[in-house]
Amino acid sequence: MLDTADRSRGSRLLNVATALPIAYAGTLILLICAYMFRPALLSPLLLMLIIRQAAPLGVAVIGQSLCMRILSIDLSFGGVAMGVSYILTSGYVPGGEAVLIACALLFGATVGLANAFFIVRLRASSVIVTLAMGLLLTGIVIAFSQFRAPGDAPALLKYIGQSRISGVPLAPLIWFALLIPVAWFLKRSVLGHYIDAIGANPRAALATGIPYGGIVVLVHVASSLFAVFSAFLLVGFVGMGSLDIGRDLALNSLAAVILGGVTFGSGRGGVLGPAVAAFMLTFLFNLLTSFGLGEPSKLMLQGAIIAVAAIAYSARTKT
Amino acid sequence: MIGRLFSRTSRSGIGIITIALPLSMFVILSFTASSFFTAQNLGNVGNQITALLIVSLGQLIVAISGGVDLSVGSMLSLTSAIIVTFDPAIVVPLAIAAGCVLGTVNGIGVAIFGVHPLVMTLATATFVQGLTLLVSPVPGGVVAPAIEALAHGRLFGLQPSLFWCAGAILLCWLLLSRSAFGLRLYALGANPRNASLNGVKVVGPIITCYVLCSLSAVAAGIFLTARVSTGDPTIGAAFGLDSITAIALGGVQLSGGVGSVPGVILGVVTLGLATNGMNLLGVSPFLRMAATGLLLLGAVSLQRRKTIGV
Repeated sequence: MLDTADRSRGSRLLNVATALPIAYAGTLILLICAYMFRPALLSPLLLMLIIRQAAPLGVAVIGQSLCMRILSIDLSFGGVAMGVSYILTSGYVPGGEAVLIACALLFGATVGLANAFFIVRLRASSVIVTLAMGLLLTGIVIAFSQFRAPGDAPALLKYIGQSRISGVPLAPLIWFALLIPVAWFLKRSVLGHYIDAIGANPRAALATGIPYGGIVVLVHVASSLFAVFSAFLLVGFVGMGSLDIGRDLALNSLAAVILGGVTFGSGRGGVLGPAVAAFMLTFLFNLLTSFGLGEPSKLMLQGAIIAVAAIAYSARTKT
Repeated sequence: MIGRLFSRTSRSGIGIITIALPLSMFVILSFTASSFFTAQNLGNVGNQITALLIVSLGQLIVAISGGVDLSVGSMLSLTSAIIVTFDPAIVVPLAIAAGCVLGTVNGIGVAIFGVHPLVMTLATATFVQGLTLLVSPVPGGVVAPAIEALAHGRLFGLQPSLFWCAGAILLCWLLLSRSAFGLRLYALGANPRNASLNGVKVVGPIITCYVLCSLSAVAAGIFLTARVSTGDPTIGAAFGLDSITAIALGGVQLSGGVGSVPGVILGVVTLGLATNGMNLLGVSPFLRMAATGLLLLGAVSLQRRKTIGV
């Protein structure tokens, strides 16, 4: 503690700069790249569209970042999104839009509870549990769709996905409406401090009497619910059900959270970093598409980004 | 001996369920599916599980060190893409070189930089899948006859898959149970700090584990591509999770230090019989995917760990 006070101002500034999430620098670099090679991408209209496109990922990222704060992970997003899309559009569930949406939320909460049960009660690895859950849900949904193909999305979600309020698309507004309370909650509430404590040192948190298990359950239910909201936005964009919905949600959200400065075992990182990273990834994919690069190079870049960001953070926390 | 085998602290990890599960499955299938207990179907099962067995043995080596490798599936696909794309003379060395590079990258990330193995291998898995699609975007292509012979030629009238299995099992068993490397690996996986304080090197052996695991995926890729006689850039997609399911069913502790070759064989047979059984009973392939998820959930639930989380 003492020697940090002695450090010169310059080195402290440098420390602050290097402690910033990679996403900030990354976004800046991407914007400069776009300015030099594809200035059309920087027009307000296109930027607004990209932000709109980033909204579902951004919402999912909130859930993923909550999980990673408590040293857990949720890779079942793809399965949850598919399940939600099927519930909303297959016509199997009777009742109006409100019932459908309630059913989807209930489904999300159930998946979250099931994940948490395996992770907390049976102490299974959260990666394996949530990957298996994703596999299970995907398998069931695809098998069911053979009997009845998905149809149109509820009008309310289509409205949310496609309409604008005085020129601003509604979807990003919903993203921010979810983001701000979560940020405030994590900073101010007791639960938020508990979450930070678990992230910083789980054993110490447990020894202090923090309700560890209960918080893991809560976080996983919340994370699945964020995945449901994300799927709502996706279904709203497309306007109808699809089995492709949310396929790369889990991996992209993981990449965004790591780029946004939240890593396992540090208890650090804010809510804003991952949100910026969600925009950065979406912008990057658009930039790549404008350069004419296809799916393979996207995958390669995605993998390389996750690996490099994870290595950079680990190297930083070690020193 | 039996007591030691079943005791909670056994290093093999083989429990009653590990043995009872494949046996009961065998019995149930013999009665419910009439075509199960035929020489042809049993030969099919053997062929189907060979690739999974080879990959799972590689996964076992990584799991004992306390890690996990999700990139095996992509490596398998990449091998398949390489075999049908490049000159037949160089495909095998090229695939092996790719495996070495992938394993080294995984190992360096995990052992030197301390990245969580799941995050590291998930990232490399994504990268390699992209690379595979770049090499060969669509299924197809022709496999050179010399490579095809590796899975079709009969030696002493026996199925070639038998030789592949026997070779992989023997190599893995020698490495884990009869070499100093294996002994150190168990020590490292059980408690890296203790092992390191006792003079066991950490970085080298862990990188070696990941290289061996990637090479097992290359071997499985060569066998599988030779058997289906064509290339497919997504042929390995399911192998990452399948191999983890198989070793978890075989009593291998994913937290490290516990696991054995016989256990993995039992786990692979369990998964193979489950898949074959659902095939025979006419279950939709997507429900089979769901069933694998269910099996995986069940298998990891059997191993209570000390910590909650990743």
